[in-house]
Amino acid sequence: MIDPGFPYLSAILLAPVLGLLIILLLPHQNQRAVRWVSLASAGVCLVLSVFIYAAYDQPAGGLQFVERVPWVRSLGIFYYLGVDGINLPMVLLTSIVFFTGVWTMWDLTRRVKEFFALMLLMVAGVYGVFMSLDLIFLFVWYDVSLFPMYPLIAIWGSTRKEYGALKLTLYLLAGSALVLPGILYVYFKSGLHTFDLVMIAQAGLAPDVQYLGFFLFLFGFGVLAGLWPFHTWSPVGHVAAPTAVSMIHAGVLMKLGAYGVLRVGMSLCPQGLMDWSPLFALLATVGIVYGAFVGLAQTDLKYVIGYSSVSHMGLVSLGLATGSLGGVSGAVFQMFAHGVMTALFFSTVGHIYDRTHTKLVPELGGMAKLMPRASFFFILAALAGIGVPCLASFWAELLVFVNGVQRYPVLGVLAVLGLVISALFMLRVVQKTFYGEKNQRYAGAPDMSGVMVLPRAMLAGTILLFGLLPRLALDLINTGVLPLVGTFK
Amino acid sequence: MPSDLALFLPETSALLMALVLFFLSLARETHHRRTYIWALGLSLLGVVAALAGLGAQGSLFFGAYRVDLFSQVFKLILAVAVFLVVSICGELTGVEERYHPEFFLFLTTCTLGMMLMVSAMELMTLYFSLELSSFSLYLLVPLRSGVRIDVEAGVKYLFIGITASCIMLFGMSYVFGVAHSTSLDKIMDVLPLLIHQPAAAIGLLLLLSGFFFKLAVFPFHFWAPDVYQGAANQVTTYIATASKAAAVALLIRLTALTSGTSLYLMNVLIGLCVASMCLGNLVAIVQKDLKRMLAYSSVAHAGYVLMGILTMTELGYSSSIFYTVAYMVMNFAAFMVVVKVASRGQDLKIADLAGLHRRAPLLALTLMMALFSLAGIPPTVGFTGKFLVFAAAMQHGHFWLVLVGMINATVSLYYYLMVIKAAYLLEPGVQAPPIEVSVPTRLLNYALIAGLVYLGVFPQQLLGLADSAVRHILGGV
Repeated sequence: MIDPGFPYLSAILLAPVLGLLIILLLPHQNQRAVRWVSLASAGVCLVLSVFIYAAYDQPAGGLQFVERVPWVRSLGIFYYLGVDGINLPMVLLTSIVFFTGVWTMWDLTRRVKEFFALMLLMVAGVYGVFMSLDLIFLFVWYDVSLFPMYPLIAIWGSTRKEYGALKLTLYLLAGSALVLPGILYVYFKSGLHTFDLVMIAQAGLAPDVQYLGFFLFLFGFGVLAGLWPFHTWSPVGHVAAPTAVSMIHAGVLMKLGAYGVLRVGMSLCPQGLMDWSPLFALLATVGIVYGAFVGLAQTDLKYVIGYSSVSHMGLVSLGLATGSLGGVSGAVFQMFAHGVMTALFFSTVGHIYDRTHTKLVPELGGMAKLMPRASFFFILAALAGIGVPCLASFWAELLVFVNGVQRYPVLGVLAVLGLVISALFMLRVVQKTFYGEKNQRYAGAPDMSGVMVLPRAMLAGTILLFGLLPRLALDLINTGVLPLVGTFK
Repeated sequence: MPSDLALFLPETSALLMALVLFFLSLARETHHRRTYIWALGLSLLGVVAALAGLGAQGSLFFGAYRVDLFSQVFKLILAVAVFLVVSICGELTGVEERYHPEFFLFLTTCTLGMMLMVSAMELMTLYFSLELSSFSLYLLVPLRSGVRIDVEAGVKYLFIGITASCIMLFGMSYVFGVAHSTSLDKIMDVLPLLIHQPAAAIGLLLLLSGFFFKLAVFPFHFWAPDVYQGAANQVTTYIATASKAAAVALLIRLTALTSGTSLYLMNVLIGLCVASMCLGNLVAIVQKDLKRMLAYSSVAHAGYVLMGILTMTELGYSSSIFYTVAYMVMNFAAFMVVVKVASRGQDLKIADLAGLHRRAPLLALTLMMALFSLAGIPPTVGFTGKFLVFAAAMQHGHFWLVLVGMINATVSLYYYLMVIKAAYLLEPGVQAPPIEVSVPTRLLNYALIAGLVYLGVFPQQLLGLADSAVRHILGGV
């Protein structure tokens, strides 16, 4: 079934790029074609991602579907793609969110061509980061995935969009301003004359190099992961962004940050992780608790989700900071689960906002009667966020908490408390928005149509599937995390 | 001798061009179209000549003039730059019509001076060729018609330029005093041994000042904003592209004289590099005029180029050359948009770009790509260039310098984004009709966008060329 010669990963990477080029050649007026091309390229990505997810040989483990071509020989830059237990779930996540995101934006009418072109560019960057094993390519894709955010938010966004877009772009690129010196530093200190991540990780780096290197990677990528206190761009950006961009952004892009810390920081500088892990865990816990408390005071649905994202991404960081098999696997699973969950959140809020033109909790109310379908999805996402059993996040959060409490008893307990608070505010928002008194102003607002239910149903189905069968992901993740954890001493 | 002529091919072509334009300028009646066609054709010929002369190697005029890959690469860069600049002079609205032949003539003599400069192996030849190019520019800057600010820009440029020349001559006298020769070959033999003497180090530094001035390195940058704003848009384009390339060539050639032995020189260069980057970027933030903003950003970019040069290693020099080419392409793309949008030859406020995506989508796209490239966003050539100079600095152990450079790149993103915001987010004003983009301009735009991305993604060839060019001055001399 698997053709060993076929470049599956390149195909996933090139599908959005190809879609982008086709869209650029299409005339402005032909919005239908633009949408279909986008959906087609997303569909190709989704099919291929599901396929490689299923075809990945778990007993063998390690990097598979590897493609390695020299790019700039004199500097040791390679076009090097490969997937293992860590990035394969991320690739799948990206495909799911990408596909449902395009579908969610089907009704967009303003500057359609430019929107989808930028979105495809951003997604190509995301795939590139997740699959690249060459530091330079990883960095290049990282920046490629970030800069389309500016126009995407500033043109199609809402609520202080220009401020949000600018803040987000500057924060994230300031983060990457730490990453590039980090990469160059590691490159020259390793003395191997290669940007091959795997090779440098195998050779190992001197402890002092790891110390500084991990610091740079932690804070460089940490900005994108929403690590406290560099998270302030994230709620503002989420709120300002249009629906699909929020979905991709909160669902996938923030994971790039955590993934960068894991893939680059932790695999290259395991000793550095050990040196910095107390600080890392502290910041993560502060993020969890802080996000929950600030979320409590929000009245804008998107702000609520934004701060809950800060809290949940704090959980990912805490899991990574434990450096244990369960903790890191839990963190990776949480990235996946949170990605799908937030995508569902934003997708649903987007629908409510389009119909009612408000996302303020006090103005809504009784939505469960007005929009039963949309309400169902929102509540499902909220339950997943709280960590209700049988939903994907439950297992991820459980793993992180168990290992977190074991490694950092005080911080771990605080983090659990943070989650309780976030459950409180989530339920409060659900109660006020979807139950209670019906706001007659929106009595005529239509619910989701059958076709538009489908993308949300896909996301909800994924949450349920991985909630009921967590081993579907965890076994795979463990094969990737296990060799890595062995290096943390 | 024919072989000597082959060595002198790019310069001969420029001389020919100057001669033709000189005769055209004698005519009582000038026809803009005719002058333009002549200039365009001859500058294209110049590119061909520079390409043909790329492999030439040898020495002329009793050793005062060396033709090697290093000089030929820069001559090619200059020839391409002047061709590009001429190509956007189709509507030379910023300059009075009767001066058009002179405009092209001085552009040519300036280029000729720079071409001579990159091959000069004698301090006297160097000075002479530098002044040839400088005086042409002193004439070009005030050629603008209309507004009053021109005179101020021209005078300012002249005075600061002459001061820089004096400082340079003074430096030359020190170098001569220490090395007892004006030949760069001989100086290179003895300078590494003598560089630890204050006189030699200071002499060399003062000598470099002349080129710091051209490159607008802090503290020789004061002319840049006024001249960028005050000169005609096409002249500014030329100053911002070709003139920088020649300065970089000479900075490389002259710092290579010490064989990288002077820690003192390096530290001074680090100081200038950091100051240029920080000052350029911070001041650029508050600019309202697009050309002024680009002027301050050019100060910052001078800092990035210096970062490669100050390592005085092979990788450092070749990355600087790469960066110079990158800078030329992206800066030209940005200025091309300025020239096209300011169709009456006026100055362009950033606010005037409002709604450019409606008025001329292609120009807006080119502008965005150019600015992202200037900000160092991959996959454009600006990123690859920055990456290479940072890599060179890191290889030499300048971790903090790289960090400062990256932070500066982030700062610069802010003001570039402000321009992109104006072009893409704001709606056009009432008196802002769509801009006609002719077919050649369209092609030029496509070529520039393709070039920005192609060189960014496939840097191998250009880097290889820069590498072998650098080896010629490090190993060959």
